[in-house]
Amino acid sequence: MNEILEEKISTEYKYGFVTDIEADNAPKGLNEDIIRFISAKKNEPEWMLNYRLKALRYWLTMDEPNWAHVSYQKPNFQDIIYYSAPKPKVALNSLDEVDPELLKTFQKLGLSILEQERLTGVESRIAVDIIMDSVSVKTTFKETLAEKGIIFCSFGEAIQEHPELVKKYMSSVVPYTDNFYAALNSAVFTDGSFCYIPKGVRCPMELSTYFRINSAGTGQFERTLIIADEDSYVSYLEGCTAPMRDENQLHAAVVELVAHKNAQIKYSTVQNWYPGDKEGKGGIFNFVTKRGICLEKNAKISWTQVETGSAITWKYPSVILKGDHSVGEFYSVALTNNYQQADTGTKMIHIGKNTKSTIISKGISAGFSNNSYRGLVKIAKGADNARNFSQCDSLLMSDQCGAHTFPYIEIKNNSAIVEHEATTSKIGEDQLFYCKQRGIDNEKAIGLIVNGYCKEVLNQLPMEFAVEAQKLLAISLEGSVG
Amino acid sequence: METAIRTSTIKEKLISEFEESKKILFGNTRLRDQAIESFCKQGIPTRKNEEYKYTPVDLMLKEEFYFTANKNCSNEQIEHLKFLKGAYVAIIENGIFMEGLSNLNNLPNGLTICSLADAAKNNSTIFEKYYAQYADINADPFIALNTAMAKDGVFIYVAKNAIIEKPIHIIDISTTFENIMIQQRNLIVVDENAQAKIIESFETLDSNAITFSNALTEIVINENAIVDYYKIQDEKELGNLVNTTQIIQKKQSIFSIHTFTLSGSLVRNNLTLVLDGEHIGSHLNGLYLTAGNQVVDNHTVVDHRKPNCNSNELYKGIIDGKSTATFNGKVFVRKDAQKTNAFQSNKNILLSEDGTINTKPQLEIYADDVKCSHGTSTGKLDEEKIFYLLSRGLGTDSAKKLLMNAFASEVVDTITIEPLREYIEGKILKKFELH
Repeated sequence: MNEILEEKISTEYKYGFVTDIEADNAPKGLNEDIIRFISAKKNEPEWMLNYRLKALRYWLTMDEPNWAHVSYQKPNFQDIIYYSAPKPKVALNSLDEVDPELLKTFQKLGLSILEQERLTGVESRIAVDIIMDSVSVKTTFKETLAEKGIIFCSFGEAIQEHPELVKKYMSSVVPYTDNFYAALNSAVFTDGSFCYIPKGVRCPMELSTYFRINSAGTGQFERTLIIADEDSYVSYLEGCTAPMRDENQLHAAVVELVAHKNAQIKYSTVQNWYPGDKEGKGGIFNFVTKRGICLEKNAKISWTQVETGSAITWKYPSVILKGDHSVGEFYSVALTNNYQQADTGTKMIHIGKNTKSTIISKGISAGFSNNSYRGLVKIAKGADNARNFSQCDSLLMSDQCGAHTFPYIEIKNNSAIVEHEATTSKIGEDQLFYCKQRGIDNEKAIGLIVNGYCKEVLNQLPMEFAVEAQKLLAISLEGSVG
Repeated sequence: METAIRTSTIKEKLISEFEESKKILFGNTRLRDQAIESFCKQGIPTRKNEEYKYTPVDLMLKEEFYFTANKNCSNEQIEHLKFLKGAYVAIIENGIFMEGLSNLNNLPNGLTICSLADAAKNNSTIFEKYYAQYADINADPFIALNTAMAKDGVFIYVAKNAIIEKPIHIIDISTTFENIMIQQRNLIVVDENAQAKIIESFETLDSNAITFSNALTEIVINENAIVDYYKIQDEKELGNLVNTTQIIQKKQSIFSIHTFTLSGSLVRNNLTLVLDGEHIGSHLNGLYLTAGNQVVDNHTVVDHRKPNCNSNELYKGIIDGKSTATFNGKVFVRKDAQKTNAFQSNKNILLSEDGTINTKPQLEIYADDVKCSHGTSTGKLDEEKIFYLLSRGLGTDSAKKLLMNAFASEVVDTITIEPLREYIEGKILKKFELH
């Protein structure tokens, strides 16, 4: 088995191309002038600029966190370009006006907007917001969605056109004081996606954002805000890629979800940032703050993530279960290979009565990587009859890698029932033997077992994504398992 | 030497006390200097320190403390604490080994029990070989403080091939009129092929002041040795205890430790078990019953360094009143430790509305051919089980007691010394009566 693993570990990153588009960059570094520059570039109102400046001033007083089980060279925050926009940036009315280079990029990403546009009217379709470097490039299906009253646009547009919503909800779930990277993001974020689902509307299609870092030396700081009003439903997908570079690039995003009464948000991520080369050189630092709040009763927020990329991942999609009877879910597959390091998990904060949360986390480590699950389940005093079930499994693929579990459980209510289980093991020789006995070769057998191992999570992904995620796992696993 | 200390300056007071007393303390002064230096660097942990997040030791140390007590108890007063008939009893009062109160006549061949300060002089070969070799002064401020300031404690040595049939009972008593801080240190060495059963109980006797005990025990278990260790922590309302236990196991040895926390205002257990050899078996059991404003924090580390070892950990707790119980268990499996089996389980029952449970079972694994798992569950007493018992004619109270007893018995049943088990069962029943 080991030879196959060794041989397969050599697979290279398949999304490592650079698109040659002239970009409009801000000078390197971070200070109040840069913030003013970004804000001016984006034509932002006064209150937005003030918010950014407040965040920056607060950020300057903070130290970088070092409690996570990862080690890396701390980025030099003065050596990053905080604003990079693909240059021919005029208001785009139709796809014909889009830079053909850009379109090629999307085609390479396996995401043909042209095709999607033609397919209007077909049952299964996805509305996509594409964010390259720091700027939202194109949002598809905007008009179709607008008919239903759904707002789906870039964050910059939302600030211009729906300032009342942005003012009301932005920073309500993740305040700029929350942590180091959230503060940084609040100061310098350049764009992102904004989505509002009005009362009683079930969003007819999957909404999606594709993030791509393109220019060298840039950081990507986007912000996503999704609001689901009463009785609404939305399923949201997020995908990320980056070119191969020797240096480490920083990605520090903030995602905020707000679910009102009876609303449901399903947020799925397939994260495939460039993980660095076989020696662990380069790759993206993925330091993301994601949090949702079930504001009123019967709300539901569900996070699903497939994490295969990034040199360092530091990410804890969380749910604050404030409304009574609200539900939080977290399904995760995190795969690390070569010298990747991941410290990921979730936080479930139970505040309302009869709240329920489920955590299923599957970690796979191969090569020399380290993969940690870190999660918090907190039952506040008033959270009567809260219920949590957590399961964290780790699969070890080599004798050089590490798999760790750090669950934090804090309970202040005696009617709560909280369970946590974790196992760590490698692929069973008996399982492999059984497959081989049935004529399935070693490589396929490993693939089969790993896929089965992740099934609980993959099943949670929307159709369109499940296929892609399985392929992605296969590609990343090809490097280590098959 | 009798200097009262205040929090704002507790560190300074500890240091000045150290400077005054270090000349008369046993052992190597250089080691003590290094330790105090390390303590100065680390300071008294606050709740910002991840390891002491749930243990407010800093608040506790806001009180004023003396370092020596001017109270001694008599033989009659402690008679009832010697509940194990026929055991070899070592009495340690306020951190000082009391030969007069102990029952150490007729020690069998191969067994040495004496004061640690004496051992530093009379048993210097063994003492120097093992003392302070395993408890790392830079790992925890209380280890550093104890290493710097330890006055005395018990020294137990079980020689090669000696099998000690009768249990050895160490009784740590605090008794005082004024607030006192105790730095006690024990060293236990069980040599190759030897076997022993050791019980350590923590008691407060006739005290009307606060005691803060920083007790550290190092246990060395050499090849093929078998050791059973029991801790009974019953320090009453004014007793505060930081109890560090550092164990090193050599190949093919078997060790089990059972920790029962019955009372005490603040109890913090730092239990570190290093499996430094192949084919080792380790069992860690714990039971904590908390009530009132008690804070009990169990930190355990099981460090698998070599292949083919098994460890099994089971901690259970029943939490009542406004008490807080914490379990923080860590299992390390190092790169070389293939074929490790490590299991960890923590189960809690939260009886009251105001109780808090924090649990953090952790696995850190660097080897691939291992079987490791951990599980934790927290809930209240099962309503259906209570209903079943009610339908069989039991009252609510006795039904609850029965269920709690059944819950605790999983840990209590692991006690292999019959009279000790009866003693603990009695204590637990009494504790449940109060609920």
